[in-house]
Parts: sequence; C-alpha cells; structure tokens
Amino acid sequence: MVSSGSAISVFAGKVNDLLGTIVEQSVKEPIRYIVNWGRLYALWPVHLETACCSVEFGAASGPRFDLERFGMLEAFGSLRQCDLLVVQGTVTRKMAPRLQWVYEQMPEPKWVIAMGACAISGGLYIDSYNVIQGIDKIIPTDVFIPGCPPRPETLIQGIIELQNKIRRSRVRS
Amino acid sequence: MEVVERQGDYLTMSVGPQHPGSGHMRLIVTVDGDIIVKVKPDPGYVHRGAEKMCEVRTYIQNIPHLERPVIIDSCGILFAYVLAAEELIGVQPPPRAQYIRIIMAELNRIISHMYWLSIYGIFMGHSTMFMWPMGDRELFIDLAASIGGTRVTFSYFIPGGVRNDIPPGFKEKALKTFDYFVKRLKEYEKIYFNNPLVLKRTQGVGVFKREDAISLGVTGPNLRASGVASDTRKDEPYSMYDTIDFDIPTYREGDSYSRAWVRLEEMRESMKIIRQAIDKMEAGPVKQPMRGQIKGKVGEAFARTEAARGTMFYHIVSDGGKFPYRVKISVPSFRNLIAMSHLLEGNRLADMPVIYWGLDYWPVEADR
Ligand code: SF4
Repeated sequence: MVSSGSAISVFAGKVNDLLGTIVEQSVKEPIRYIVNWGRLYALWPVHLETACCSVEFGAASGPRFDLERFGMLEAFGSLRQCDLLVVQGTVTRKMAPRLQWVYEQMPEPKWVIAMGACAISGGLYIDSYNVIQGIDKIIPTDVFIPGCPPRPETLIQGIIELQNKIRRSRVRS
Repeated sequence: MEVVERQGDYLTMSVGPQHPGSGHMRLIVTVDGDIIVKVKPDPGYVHRGAEKMCEVRTYIQNIPHLERPVIIDSCGILFAYVLAAEELIGVQPPPRAQYIRIIMAELNRIISHMYWLSIYGIFMGHSTMFMWPMGDRELFIDLAASIGGTRVTFSYFIPGGVRNDIPPGFKEKALKTFDYFVKRLKEYEKIYFNNPLVLKRTQGVGVFKREDAISLGVTGPNLRASGVASDTRKDEPYSMYDTIDFDIPTYREGDSYSRAWVRLEEMRESMKIIRQAIDKMEAGPVKQPMRGQIKGKVGEAFARTEAARGTMFYHIVSDGGKFPYRVKISVPSFRNLIAMSHLLEGNRLADMPVIYWGLDYWPVEADR
C-alpha cells in the first residue's frame, strides 16, 4: 500500500513533469505543439476489418475498455474523414489491393496500426499460400501491436504509443 | 459503395469490403431504385487456407488455427475437430472432461450470441444495444477465461480431454453470473425486443420460408427461426448432451425478428445446460494421458456438432502418419451466405444490413 501522502506527491510530480513539457514545447514550437495536440485526441479509425482481430477491437470499444477515453473515436465514419487505419488481422492476397486503395483514399495526415500477429508477420498463418506476411510490405506502418488476438489493454497501449509518436511528429507546412 | 455498371434502370454496385457495418465481405448488388434485384456474393477475402494448413501440422498443432475461423465461438467450432481426431487417434475422453467441454461450448455460444446481439444493435442504429450486451458479454468472457486462460482463444479442447480442470469456486461464480444474467435478459426483452425501432426494422423483413430454409441447407438458429426444430445436440447427441435436458427454441415466422428471439432463448437454454453439467460432473481425471508421437490410424472419421452458427462438420482422412492427410471443414456460415443472396433479392437496400447480420454470417468462417 502506498500512503496517501506519497501518492499525492507522485501525482504532483507527474503533473509537474507534464506541465513542464507542455510549457516547454508550447514556448519552443507553439504551432507544432498545438497542431499535434489537436490531432492527438481525435483519432478517427477506418472501419476495415480484415480478419478475426476485429472481435477484440469491438470489445475494446465496448463499455469495459472504452477506447473513447483515450481519444479514439468510434469506427463509424466515412473513409474520407478518417486518419487512422487499424489493420485488424490477416491480410490475404485478395484483401491486399483493397487495403492499399483504402490507405490511398485516406486524407493526410494518416497513421497505420498493425493489430495482431497476422498483420505483423502472418502470425499463425505464416506458411499459408494466401496470406501476406506483414502489412508493412504494402503500406507504411506506425505501430505494431502483438498478440493473437491482442487483448484490449494491449490495443490501448498501442494507441497511446501512437499518440506519443504523433506528439513528437513534425508538422508539414 | 462504388458503382460497377449502369444498365437502363438498373444500377450495379459493390458493397464492401470496406463499409461501416461489419467487414471482410463484399456483395455485388444490382438495384432498381431502392429494391435489390440481384445479389452476387464475392466471398474469399479471408481465405487463409486452413484446410491445406492442416496437412502440414500434427493433430495437436492443428488446434490453435482451427479455432480462429470463429474466434468468438472458439470452443464450439473446435468440438467437431476434436471428436473426429479422437476417433482416428483412438482415445476416449473421461466423463468429467466431456462435461467440461459442454460447459465451455455453451459458454462460447452465449459469448457468440451476445456479440451478435450487440452488433445487431449497431446495424439498426441502436447504440445502447451495442453497449449493454458488450458489457454483459465480459462477464461470460471472465468465466471462460477462468477456465481457459485467455479471453477468446482458449485452445482448450485437446484429443483425449481438456487441457486443465476447472478452477475451484467456478460453480459459485457461474451461478452468480447466471442469476444476474437471467434478470438482465428480461430487461433486454423490454428495451430491445419491444422497441418500436427494432420492431419496425426487423419484423417481416427477410422472411425465410420453411421450405426455402430446408432446401438451401441452412442450419442452426436460422433454420430454427423458420420453424424447423433441428439441432444436432438433440438429433445426434454427441459427448454428454443426451444426459442433459434442454429445449430447442423454435419460431415459425422466419423473419429477422424471430432470428433474434431464437438466439435470445438459446442463451437461456445454454445457461440451463451449464447448470446441469456442473451438477452432473463428478471428480476424476480430465484427460487421457498420451505418450510419444500421436498418430492417426489409417482411415477416415466424421464428426458433426452444433456450433453457435449451426452445424459444424469435420471430415478427416488419415494415412497413418502424424499429420492428417486431408481435412474437410463444412461450415454453417457458407450456407448462410447462399441464404443471404436468396433473402436479399426483392428487399430494400436499406434493409440489407439487418438481413445480413440477422443471419449471423461470419465471413472468416465461410472463407476458412
Ligand atoms: S492475429 Fe490471431 S486473432 Fe488476429 S487475425 Fe491473426 S489469427 Fe486472427
């Protein structure tokens, strides 16, 4: 058990760190900071399910895990307004060109998450004749989330990693 | 949706594989105004070659990838494989293991139906109905995870029994969950099944006549919603299902509304089955010890079981080696795909999501 006093001091320290970075960043590069901050907590995912990992994606949007807490919106939008592509599992030869089309149709800036062992490397189906061994061969990928299927907690961690990446990313003029 | 071609009054377009419903499937739909004239399904987006892969993996190594096709019903679809493999290997599971299998298969049936119900809510634009079953489903996932170890993919059934015994205190936890859930189902009936939105969208939509259902070879809840009391658990009892007393919910209307009712009633029956299985279970071993390289004897074996979506059928041919020579999987979802194109014709385009999901067509399973 942590005593409440030390818990408060840990919390205060964290807030201090966070405030420090915010102040530092917003003073040094205010535009980059504001633009990235705006993108960070409004990730619109595309609804493209490629295989069975979609079940855990659905569970993660449910009330127990509630992805929206972390600034990830529900996957109901149109492709043209989305900026995040979560590839939920195995990509077969038939799906691969469609995946590329979907990626090309999304407006910039866009990010890609490879969810599950199949999207990373082919996973369980690595020796199958019809499976692409990793989506990074066909589209640029930002975050890889391991698991078969990844638990919703792992998915959430992956999204937080992506947000960290967005926070540090350059803003193109 | 993209337009494929235009011919006079008819417009042909492609629905999927990216659309705001549930993914990995594509239909090529010809419409006349709002009415669907012709549907050409285009399956195969998730064809991962499961049958071929079985030929280069041993009987045990086959288990993880064979439960992936329907990941929410992983034990239910594995059941048939394990029964067929046991026949070839020549092992018999002890009685306790058989009851544990029934418990897991029925838990998975509930988990699968709950997932179905919640996505059905999304398809009708009823987001409360996504949240409620998704939340309650977690209780059953917790129960199944306390036995199988993971959230959805358990790899729990093995030839000769199950991987491990159920944990102490499972019974109390399960009964508590069931008591809660029975009450909850009553609320579902009120908020969901007596809801004007749901009634309007589903009642009389996609009516599947009894004769059509039989001739198209549809199985499972969809067949039972059309008035045929057919259930493999009753017709050809496998495992210990003949010692258990349960009913087969059947409806006569055959529309999307009764398909939802059948699944709701089935969840009640599943809980009844699990209660009985827990009581009937006696202490004992849960698996038959097997040593050395497991080989199947020369010959072939069949098994047919009732998974959440209908009849799951496995045909395994063995040449006496450590790998199966040929594995044929006959899945219920593929028949639902045939039924779907039959049902969609003549209906409105706006009813397509309800009919599609009402049939519980699971593309990953249909493509294997
Ligand atoms: S990683 Fe596992 S759960 Fe995800 S798509 Fe592949 S086989 Fe399915």
